[in-house]
Amino acid sequence: MDFIASHENWKNCFSEVAPGLLLFARQWVQSAADAEDIVQEAFVKFWRRNHNIHNRALLYSAVRSIALDFIRRDKRRARREATVYAGTEPSIEPQFELEDDTQSALAAAMDSLPHDQREVLVLKIWNDLTFSEIAGALRISQNTAASRYRYALSNLKKSLQPQ
Amino acid sequence: MNDFSEFENELKKLRPVQPSPVLFERVEQALESCGAGALAGATPVRPPYNWWWLGFGLATAGIVVLFAAINFEREHRLDTATVAQSSPASEMRPEAPGTEQSRVTGRFVPTGGTNVVYNARDEGLHFADGSERPVRRVRYRTQQIWRWRNPETGASLRVSYPSEEIVLIPVSGQ
Repeated sequence: MDFIASHENWKNCFSEVAPGLLLFARQWVQSAADAEDIVQEAFVKFWRRNHNIHNRALLYSAVRSIALDFIRRDKRRARREATVYAGTEPSIEPQFELEDDTQSALAAAMDSLPHDQREVLVLKIWNDLTFSEIAGALRISQNTAASRYRYALSNLKKSLQPQ
Repeated sequence: MNDFSEFENELKKLRPVQPSPVLFERVEQALESCGAGALAGATPVRPPYNWWWLGFGLATAGIVVLFAAINFEREHRLDTATVAQSSPASEMRPEAPGTEQSRVTGRFVPTGGTNVVYNARDEGLHFADGSERPVRRVRYRTQQIWRWRNPETGASLRVSYPSEEIVLIPVSGQ
């Protein structure tokens, strides 16, 4: 991550952070294509302002705010689609490349987490953000970020235990 | 947190879906076009100032200029009268030939004035003496600057002084 965003190295930066960014964006949108749109807009905006890639909190904060804007803009379309596809099973694109049943169970358990816990988990596990960076990106305190993370792990563990 | 370290490792084994190669191309195009100064679909860079404050500042400046213009108009008439009154009486009289030059050189013409309202305070409703209708009392503190110039000699005179004005505005009953 020792990059400063510039014309030459944006590809290195982007290829390193893109999977995590996409996963983060998928916390708000179900479609992978929508998530890619959000990530593209956020990354381009980030690069244009020439932020240091060390300040990752800003990048994730941009993804989050663009995703929230996207949801607001997209409400009408979502309602229309919900009417059209009412009664049919929605096809949800996978967020992970699953290799076995254990991983499928983990991914399913992730989906059942409350949203605020899931976003902290995604930032911590798959984006390697510190609690300080997570706090900056989500505009919460570090303690809140840490406790949400613990709750998320605890809830996941509980849901995966055999009944 | 140690209770969860094994579990965290399990989670880290889950690999997020990779972005499509098209995404890289799209980002590259967007970055190139923004380098040329035209990034379609991207949020424009905000100017370093806030439009609300700019608008507010302009509105305030407009009000100050309006006050200045109104007061200048009023004071200008008053000052012209005062200058006329304080001028030597000989100006009003028919002059003997040859004395015109001396009259002109001693004459100052008002060239401008500024009245800057730097504080306006609403002092609330009051009843003026003997009146049953309330009036709103507004106190204006201003700095007035007046300038005169002698067109012949080029000499100028500038007077600056603070002033205070109380305006009583009748309030109509609803």
